[in-house]
Amino acid sequence: MKKLLAASAALGLAISLSCTALHAATLSVWAVDEPDNYTEKMAQEFAKLHPDVHLQIRKVGFAALNDETMRAVMSGSMPDVVPIDNPNTAMFASKNALLDLTPYLAKSKVIDAKQIFPGPLKNASWNGKVYAIPRGTNTLALYYNEDMFKAAGLDPNRPPQTWDELYADAKKLTDAQKNVYGLAFSAINNEEGVFQFLPFIQATGADWDKLNDPGAARAAAFWQKLMDAKVASPDTLTHTQSEAAATFINGNAAMDIDGPWELNAVEKGAKFKWRVALLPTEKAGGARASALGEQNHAILRGAKDPDVAFQFLEYMYSQRGRDWNEFGMLPPSKDTNTPNPKWPQAYKAFNEQMEYARARGPNPQWPKVSKAISDAMQSVLTHQAAPAQAMTTAGQAVQGVAH
Amino acid sequence: MNTLLRRFPRANAFEISLAVFALLYLLIFAGLPLIYNIVLSFQQVDLMEPATLLRPFVGLANYRDVFGRPEARQVLINTVLFVGLSLTLQIIIGFLLALLFAQDFPFASAMRGLFLAGWIMPGLVVGVIWKLIFAGDYGVLNHVLMQTHLLHEKIFWLSDPAWSLYAVILANVWLGVPFNMLLLSVGLAAIPADLYEAAELDGANPLQRFVGITLPMMKATLGAVIALGAIMTMQQFDLIAALTQGGPANSSQVAQFWSWQLSLQTFEVSAGSAVATLMLLLVLVVAVIYVRSTRNERMV
Repeated sequence: MKKLLAASAALGLAISLSCTALHAATLSVWAVDEPDNYTEKMAQEFAKLHPDVHLQIRKVGFAALNDETMRAVMSGSMPDVVPIDNPNTAMFASKNALLDLTPYLAKSKVIDAKQIFPGPLKNASWNGKVYAIPRGTNTLALYYNEDMFKAAGLDPNRPPQTWDELYADAKKLTDAQKNVYGLAFSAINNEEGVFQFLPFIQATGADWDKLNDPGAARAAAFWQKLMDAKVASPDTLTHTQSEAAATFINGNAAMDIDGPWELNAVEKGAKFKWRVALLPTEKAGGARASALGEQNHAILRGAKDPDVAFQFLEYMYSQRGRDWNEFGMLPPSKDTNTPNPKWPQAYKAFNEQMEYARARGPNPQWPKVSKAISDAMQSVLTHQAAPAQAMTTAGQAVQGVAH
Repeated sequence: MNTLLRRFPRANAFEISLAVFALLYLLIFAGLPLIYNIVLSFQQVDLMEPATLLRPFVGLANYRDVFGRPEARQVLINTVLFVGLSLTLQIIIGFLLALLFAQDFPFASAMRGLFLAGWIMPGLVVGVIWKLIFAGDYGVLNHVLMQTHLLHEKIFWLSDPAWSLYAVILANVWLGVPFNMLLLSVGLAAIPADLYEAAELDGANPLQRFVGITLPMMKATLGAVIALGAIMTMQQFDLIAALTQGGPANSSQVAQFWSWQLSLQTFEVSAGSAVATLMLLLVLVVAVIYVRSTRNERMV
């Protein structure tokens, strides 16, 4: 018996010596409950490479990320790594909830922050410090149905370039008898709707912090025109971006403003030829703008083992070459190598669109800013307020909270 | 304490300890959060501060803030409509169904059982199903109404501000009817059959029997159903989250969802708590009605 004990003790010692790099640690990770399961997949791959790390995964709904994280921080029992929608990173960082990654990045051999594109990096930083690592990035572009373009006498090689053309083409493509709308997008009363609306505001020269600029009212008036003419479904007001994409895939909409995360679904479901084009500009030759989205991963300040957590962030970042083909995300950095990108036409279009993507914020009060924009947008689309009046009110509200 | 104990003359230590256990449970899991919420509504709450009770006291400022918001009026009207209409329709339909299933006909109890299927489904699932039914372009409801020529143009139930609140109410009524029917069925079953027989012998017609016997005998049950229904309607959250999220443009916004949005979407916890406290007052009124009606029940 004694021998057995001694042997097992020796064995245990040997095992613990053999993994000096990572002592037995737990890594508690939250993952967004979504079809491609990015974070969960990555965490499991990481755990496989580090068998001595005890992995705990909890799935959280995307819409509940903010308040679940907030509650975890308030209650003090929190996971180590959380996904954060990129415009909300500043809020958590400013409230001292996130670990400052700058010193880790200085030592890291895997992540070179200078290589990360400026937009995603801006939405992962606060006050000059980096608090999160983008898992990838995304932006909005215009999907269109080539077959319907041809049937309506439009040239599929010349997608709409300006707002006027977008409206005119959408009108031609709309066929109420067949239940087909020219355009699908999302004007829902939450962050998704704001994500879609901001590029139109920004294309005019206005921005989230310049809503008093007449351009913001022009953007709202243009969306109102699309809705009034019924070239987009009245249900655009309650459609999420995925629901908008579903109407495009089912052939109930000829164009769809959406992101690369829908590519897999479009490929699987669409029984027609489709392409992706840049978002139209307000006037010919006008400024381009698009949204900048995607989740970041951050380490919460209370993390039990920040070193292991950072190694996990490094592992995810090291896999960025898979972002496009497997997860429908654009690469987050200049030094990403995407071998044989699928959907080459869409890859080119989305990457070009990415050059015009603008960060939301960063502002620690982003949820309030977003709510003000969303309220203004919906009150214009339902004709409860005139565009100029609604955007001015929103501008005042934003000024009240963000400064 | 002694006077309190004297009210339970026959209670032994075991019974008292059971009551204490229940009281403690209520205090910890219902009482403390309620009190905490009321306290929050009088404080200036900053995000992610450690959970403490000591925060700057701001008096009624949070309440003034909530009432001063442009959407406050609409939320108030919507909440009254939501609770009032949901409750009225649930009780009328529930009562009619309970009366129907109280009749003796083949498969009556089996069909009554089937009605409960709706009740056991989570609000979120019901919301997803109703979102498909209400969808303007491909929804079942529009399809049926257009095929039967009751409608000539599609109604965008969830996206048209003129309809969105009523769409949510309709779904909520559907969700609440089985529960109302169940409670009212129980009440109906408890009415002694010989009362009806006697009335019939005296020549009372069905309407007279309903007004003269059923309604008075159901008073206590109805009180309980109204009170429970009001509380459940004021708590209805997941259905709204799945259907409209209070939109478009706050047209279907009701107090309970607003409170959640304030507290957990824009993180204005103070304002959210103020709305929740106002709701609590309302529920309290209803709870008093409920307690009184069940007290009557005991006397019968």
